[in-house]
Amino acid sequence: MKNLDTGKLLSDYGNVLVLLLLCVVISVVTLEEQSPRSTAAAENLATIIVGDAGKDANILILVRRGEGQQEFANTLKNTLSKADLNVIDTVVGTPADARAALEKQTEPLDVIATDEHMAAFCLEQLPKLAKKYPTFANTTAYQPKKHLWPNFLKKENLLNVLKQISVVAIIAIGMTMVIITAGIDLSVGSLIAFSGVITALSIQQLSGGADPTTGHLVLGCAAGILVCALIGMGTGGLVTLFNIPAFIVTLGVMFIAKGLAFIFSQSAPIPIANEGFAWLGRGSDLMGLPNSVVLMLLLYGIAHVIMTHTSIGRYIYAVGGNPEAARLSGVPVKWILVFVYTLCGLLAGLGGVMEASLHITGDPKSGTLVELQVIAAVVVGGTSLAGGQGKIFGTLVGALIIGVIRNGMNLTGVEAHMQSVVYGVVILIAVMVDQLKNRAQKTN
Amino acid sequence: MKKNLTLLPAILLTTWLGCGGNQEATAPANTGVNGENAEKTKGIIAYTPQTLSNPFFSVIGDHIRAEAEKNGYEILIVDPDYDVKKQSDQIDDFIAKNVTAIVLVPCDRLSVGPAVQAANKAGIPVFTVDAKCAAEGAEIVGHVGTDNFQGGELAGKAMIEALGEKGGKVLILDLKRAHSCVLRVDGFKKVINAHNKEAEGKIEIVSELDGNGDRTKGYQSTADALQAHEDLDAIFAINDPSALGAYTAVKEANREAKIKIIGFDGQLDGKQAIKDGKIYADPIQHPDKMGKQIVQLVIKYQAGESFEPETLIPATLYTKAEADQDPELK
Repeated sequence: MKNLDTGKLLSDYGNVLVLLLLCVVISVVTLEEQSPRSTAAAENLATIIVGDAGKDANILILVRRGEGQQEFANTLKNTLSKADLNVIDTVVGTPADARAALEKQTEPLDVIATDEHMAAFCLEQLPKLAKKYPTFANTTAYQPKKHLWPNFLKKENLLNVLKQISVVAIIAIGMTMVIITAGIDLSVGSLIAFSGVITALSIQQLSGGADPTTGHLVLGCAAGILVCALIGMGTGGLVTLFNIPAFIVTLGVMFIAKGLAFIFSQSAPIPIANEGFAWLGRGSDLMGLPNSVVLMLLLYGIAHVIMTHTSIGRYIYAVGGNPEAARLSGVPVKWILVFVYTLCGLLAGLGGVMEASLHITGDPKSGTLVELQVIAAVVVGGTSLAGGQGKIFGTLVGALIIGVIRNGMNLTGVEAHMQSVVYGVVILIAVMVDQLKNRAQKTN
Repeated sequence: MKKNLTLLPAILLTTWLGCGGNQEATAPANTGVNGENAEKTKGIIAYTPQTLSNPFFSVIGDHIRAEAEKNGYEILIVDPDYDVKKQSDQIDDFIAKNVTAIVLVPCDRLSVGPAVQAANKAGIPVFTVDAKCAAEGAEIVGHVGTDNFQGGELAGKAMIEALGEKGGKVLILDLKRAHSCVLRVDGFKKVINAHNKEAEGKIEIVSELDGNGDRTKGYQSTADALQAHEDLDAIFAINDPSALGAYTAVKEANREAKIKIIGFDGQLDGKQAIKDGKIYADPIQHPDKMGKQIVQLVIKYQAGESFEPETLIPATLYTKAEADQDPELK
């Protein structure tokens, strides 16, 4: 009996296990020396310099420009000045700025306090400069002590992974529901492009050539999402009214939406003349979490509640499990089908808006082959293409597995065609597990 | 059941390790407290072209690799496959990896802007090769490209030579959404127009069709144009794939003896076609020089030296005479 329980547990959460294992493996292969850039690291570095250098030593601070670098330099400067060392100049900039600062140096320089990148500059240029200028004869460059840490597990990288999967994962919510009803939606990739183009065009029209206001942006997004929801409704209508297989209907819609996106945009990306539009795709407001990730988690929460705690959720499973039985027991099968395709279209429209926001452009080329990534996420997440079963959070895990593999392969520089092979293998394994799970349940 | 699930991670693991093999080579050397100790590498140069399936970009990549490794840098090459979303994700990954410099061939000159801005914000210098980034507020430190207008002029001169005193009717296969290809056509037309003012035998551009820069569309558009223009004398295609597609259509119509084709690029199969007499001539680009020079810009930037932010490498004309001497060809 106990054995059976662990078996069930594994089959329910098997993909979580796979995800964790992948994270461990990727962490190991991306283990690299990291140069800390925190203010604490700056204080440590300053303390070491104070210990090594004599009183009144001349110090130059060289730090590469970038986010947080100014604070790093300031902390260095304050700590060193407090210890009565003579900080001549603080440069936060490009290597050219660093060279300029060094070349105008007149007094003998004892210490250069740097970060990782400027340390590389000093390492190369100091010996050359020392030959030309005697001021650098006894100069030592210091950088923060390095430590081993996986590139994969850096906070900004983990947020990257979440941000990168957000569009696919959000559309995968709708796709999961569609697939649970034993359908499929191939049009979502084209709808991304279509929604982006419609959004960008609406914003252009609304603002009438002037710079668009926030109100225009919101209305434009609403237009893009709404149009895609209507297209989804049409898809659902064709599937139910004419009883055409979803594969065929959505294939048709895929071509139509793609073509229309190119026609409406005249084949060129449409820029959106308001940087504020990047808020959804690139902004991060809530505790440093990217807005797209917050939206994704929120939608998953809502979808989970719908699928597990409402009658709509139960109906969706019922329609996929056995449509005839569902119909006889009073489930509004047709309405449920229209609902899931509408939702899938709506979420694809939202994905299109997010994509457009990411690039501040409505691009008819975007979304190519995304439908297959979305389906892959759903399948890897354990939803059966035969319909009737699947879990919303399984899909999130599926999207994470694919995103984590992709990120890991980019971090280690795995060649692009090999990446494609690995995706293929992952999808096949996921489907195999799915089949074995079904077989095991049947024999039980 | 359990057995199957434990098998899954094992397979994934082996697949992973199988392809992540170059990791060991990229592990940096240990550095002491003072940065004086020599590091094995000076940093990572990351390259994301439009695609690696076009030999033009992979040749650039090969030469970036060679030049970077010669100068003590590591190199990271990824393939966005023409997808600007993928390319932006790759740039985000480069930022997370804290690379020294990013070398980019934008998949889209506008849409790549926010990703470049993110790199700017992180203080990582961004360079472009071949195609430029035209997004507002995106800072590009240096660019190396081909002088496409001058290349187009070369094509125009070759066309005048190919048609001789009589002149003739010309079809252009263009690719309007690529700025570089628009410049090629502009340069071509400038030379043809100047020629027409003086010469007896005028060269008339009878049609400009989209060749999509690939064989399929180049073939289709040419086949249509051959129907419309019984007396077509020559074709100028803005790259080799569309020129080769055009040749297929011309050959199918049994008009290859009369119709001269001029391509652009100098990819290997383009050069071979010139040797075989299928294409009359190509203004060729020099991806080897482009790869080398962009790394030189990165090195100069890192050393804090001044440099020209934009280098345009002139195209050169490649005809059957050059092809016959080319050791690369069969």
